[in-house]
Amino acid sequence: VNPIARRWRAWWLARLPLTDSWTLTQGNIYIVPTRAGFVYAITLGVMLLASINYQLNLGYVLTFLLAGSGLMSMHLTHRTLRGLTLHLRPPQAVFAGEPAPLEIVVYSAGSTQRGAGPPQAGLRPSRRADAVLRGRVSHHRHGIGLCVQDEGVSYDDVPWVWIDVPAAGQATAHLSFVPAARGLHAVPVLRAETRYPFGLFRAWTVWRPAAQVLAYPAPERPAVPLPPAHAVGGEALRSRASEGGELEGVRAYQRGDTPRRIVWKKVARSGELVSRDTRIATQQELWLDYQGTQLPEAEARLSRLTAWVLAADRAGIAHGLRLPGVELSPDQGEAHRREALRTLALWAPAR
Amino acid sequence: MKPAATLWPRWPGWKHLPREARDTLFLLAVIGWTVMPHLSHLPAWCGLLCGIVMLWRGRIALANAPLPSRWLVVAVVIAASALTVMTEHTLLGKEAGVTMLVLLMVLKTLELRARRDALVIFFLGFFLVLTNFLYSQTLLVAAAMLVSVWGLLTALVLAHMPVGQPTIRQAGGLAARAALLGAPVMVVLFLLFPRIGPLWGLPQDAGAKTGLSGELRMGNIAELATDESIAFRLRFDGEVPPAQAMYFRGPVLERFDGVEWRQRDPFAQGFPPPAAELRPQGAPTGYEMTLEPSRLALLPLLDATPDTAQAAPRIEGVRAMQWPDLHWVTDRPLNDRLRFHVLAWTHFEHGPRRGEMALRSDLELPPGYNPRTLAWAAQLRQDPRYANASPDVLAGAVLQHIRNGGFTYTLAPGEYGTHAVDEFWLDRRRGFCEHFAASFVVVMRALDVPARIVTGYQGTDLAPADGYWVVRQSHAHAWAEYWQPGRGWVRADPTAAVAPDRVERSRHLAPRPGIVAQALGSWSPELLTQMRKGWEAINNRWNQWVLGYSQKQQLGLLERLGVQSPNWEDLSLMLIGLLSTGALLGAGWAWWDRHRQDPWQRLMGRVRERLTALGIEARPHEPPRTLAAAVRRRLGEPGHALAEQLEALDRLRYGHGAVAKPQPAWWRGFAAEAARLRRLASG
Repeated sequence: VNPIARRWRAWWLARLPLTDSWTLTQGNIYIVPTRAGFVYAITLGVMLLASINYQLNLGYVLTFLLAGSGLMSMHLTHRTLRGLTLHLRPPQAVFAGEPAPLEIVVYSAGSTQRGAGPPQAGLRPSRRADAVLRGRVSHHRHGIGLCVQDEGVSYDDVPWVWIDVPAAGQATAHLSFVPAARGLHAVPVLRAETRYPFGLFRAWTVWRPAAQVLAYPAPERPAVPLPPAHAVGGEALRSRASEGGELEGVRAYQRGDTPRRIVWKKVARSGELVSRDTRIATQQELWLDYQGTQLPEAEARLSRLTAWVLAADRAGIAHGLRLPGVELSPDQGEAHRREALRTLALWAPAR
Repeated sequence: MKPAATLWPRWPGWKHLPREARDTLFLLAVIGWTVMPHLSHLPAWCGLLCGIVMLWRGRIALANAPLPSRWLVVAVVIAASALTVMTEHTLLGKEAGVTMLVLLMVLKTLELRARRDALVIFFLGFFLVLTNFLYSQTLLVAAAMLVSVWGLLTALVLAHMPVGQPTIRQAGGLAARAALLGAPVMVVLFLLFPRIGPLWGLPQDAGAKTGLSGELRMGNIAELATDESIAFRLRFDGEVPPAQAMYFRGPVLERFDGVEWRQRDPFAQGFPPPAAELRPQGAPTGYEMTLEPSRLALLPLLDATPDTAQAAPRIEGVRAMQWPDLHWVTDRPLNDRLRFHVLAWTHFEHGPRRGEMALRSDLELPPGYNPRTLAWAAQLRQDPRYANASPDVLAGAVLQHIRNGGFTYTLAPGEYGTHAVDEFWLDRRRGFCEHFAASFVVVMRALDVPARIVTGYQGTDLAPADGYWVVRQSHAHAWAEYWQPGRGWVRADPTAAVAPDRVERSRHLAPRPGIVAQALGSWSPELLTQMRKGWEAINNRWNQWVLGYSQKQQLGLLERLGVQSPNWEDLSLMLIGLLSTGALLGAGWAWWDRHRQDPWQRLMGRVRERLTALGIEARPHEPPRTLAAAVRRRLGEPGHALAEQLEALDRLRYGHGAVAKPQPAWWRGFAAEAARLRRLASG
């Protein structure tokens, strides 16, 4: 890409507001004829010449009918986008190098959920209001393509996701992009485009979502075995575990407990969710240390730590994380794992 | 092996076809429909090839088989071009061009890989629709082509609906709507786009009606004979000439290549054509002619009209010229109805009195054609009675032979082969004017008498209507002239020898009615007449309003709209004015629409503005309830009233008995409360 074009694009993109809810109006839809549109114009020119030279009045009729329809298709193409609202659902965190899914909900004008974010029960405008909106500003829209705008990809190879948006309704498109490195990434610039109905014009909009995607470090592959753990207060707890025939050390279910930890037998008997008590299930605790990775490079160390965090979590071992300047005390569970990964993703070496 | 199953895949039913296959079959059907009217004048191999290719492509679509390799398609294109050159002797010109266009269009379907290929098909398709109008612009053709355009637009819409399986009906409705939206633009452009003459010289084959186009091939005039439309009307100043004198001269055909008769090329090398040397006799006949638009550069005037200031037609905007063979031409095809006054001398002599070298070309016969007729003529020559006979005597003998030789005048003589004159003159003896005229000329030339064919119209309707004598296309005729030393060219109408009715009573032969008309005619002749009349009336409207619409009508329209003595510049100005007004209206609407929002949306925007001013963060996707909660959190007790108002708004919008439009009263209350809170905060 030539540098002037890149600077121009950067300047132009910087003018766009950052928003997760992008309503398409006259002001942010662009429209130009496609190559097919130019060929169509040339075809019509030749047809007009033929009509003049052979003095064909029906030739005039045909040429002008096609010209009129082509002209009106510009309006129809623009109308396909006008009045839509694109809404980006908060994206999930992913590992670097893996595709981050983006869920985009496209609301048509007059959609009942319009302006209210995701669908909410009990929030419906009256039927009359609905009818007014449907009749006036809403219609079925066909052939809307969405994509992640990527300068490196030639136009024909863009992986478009195509959707139709029903009148006063909504449609969902699933896009993805791949964050190359760990850290907080802005969602890339998105593009919605249509050539409906005749492909003579191309209307598009460029959208800069405000949301950011957190990318954890890519876990090291193949994984290296966990470092040795230190037993903590094991004896006392173990004696408790050996008392009685039934499994002991259960407690009420807490949010974040994995299904594996739920004692399903008890659940079936009592009807209440109960989980194994972590203090009993784990008899060892583990410190995952930046210094203990024995790797020269910082990113590689973070990758190994990530793999360890995942392995420890899978094994149900309480683990702490020690990075230069940051320490996370040993614990386990979904919330802890997330916190650990988040710390790894955002950690920056002290200068 | 199951040959039947592999040859043609099973038809799963229209509803169960995969989308891809269904769209392809639909497009093939549209292409087939568009090509169909061409089949009558395309070479037979071309129609056959198109049929095979389209069946092949349909099979590929049904079986979901791979497309043929590009090289195969290229090979077929090359072979088809070679065949076109062989049959048409060129790749340029109308016939060859249409043949190639049809072939390219059909072969392109074998390459329908991507959407871009599809677009090429659509654009070729629109052009193909136009080429149909080169041959016919009747109401029926127009209706058929309207279906084609609709089909092509529907296929285009289908190509741009990538999601799911939209029905043809859905796509067709959308295409029709786009076309309807475009119709006003079409009407304005059609009415006001300045009609100008052809931009460059037209190819020879431009005439829409082939009968008097300056070429004659057996069967041409039969086409005209079936055409009951009016060619021109006459109103005579004084006495009406007798029916035998009603010859209206068109192109004179002197060159014969064995198949076709053509006019002498005035720019050819060699001897210039002999001068007209028209010698009128007696008193002139004055008449006024109203000529319907013929799209030919031809004035079929009553024989003979001299090129003098007093006699020649004077037509505004058209330059009329007389060729040395006495027929009148114009400098452009005639698309307007013309009215002009002419003087004609129905008694006249013309042509050189003495033999000239230039007459030699009227003796030429192509070698290798019609050998038996030449032998027949040589035998006649050997008859001692005709050894040294004058051309007049020879012509009389030949006409006598026609009269007594068992010839029949019919409009349905069947097809003639290579030696058409041989077949007609000696074997079948069934034909109409062009067969008689052509054979007469060939025989006269074989007898060493210069002779040529004259085409034109002969006769009128039996009785005048409102004082106008009507000449129809079905009065088209061909007769002959031979050269008699001392007198010049002498008219001889061999058709009159066999069917004197045709000339004397001016009764033209009507073609036999078709099966439907026959059945209808025997059941209820009145209904048939009524229907024919209604159809003729509709056709007449069509001819007048659509096909006959020309610069004259355009200027007339402007005059009715109040423009004084309009010209084409006014026309252009008006067109540009209307189009700019349309564009301005469109831009104005767009500007207005930019500010048009869902009223609730607009209201929420204003609410957010006020809340932001109060230091409350309000995001676009938050409903009034959420904002009310935010107000309570942020402002506490003083913001209570404001929060309640927001909750009221939530009920108005979403609650039981919600209203369609926000109420202005609500906004007034809210704005007042917000202003009070701001004063409170600042004060």
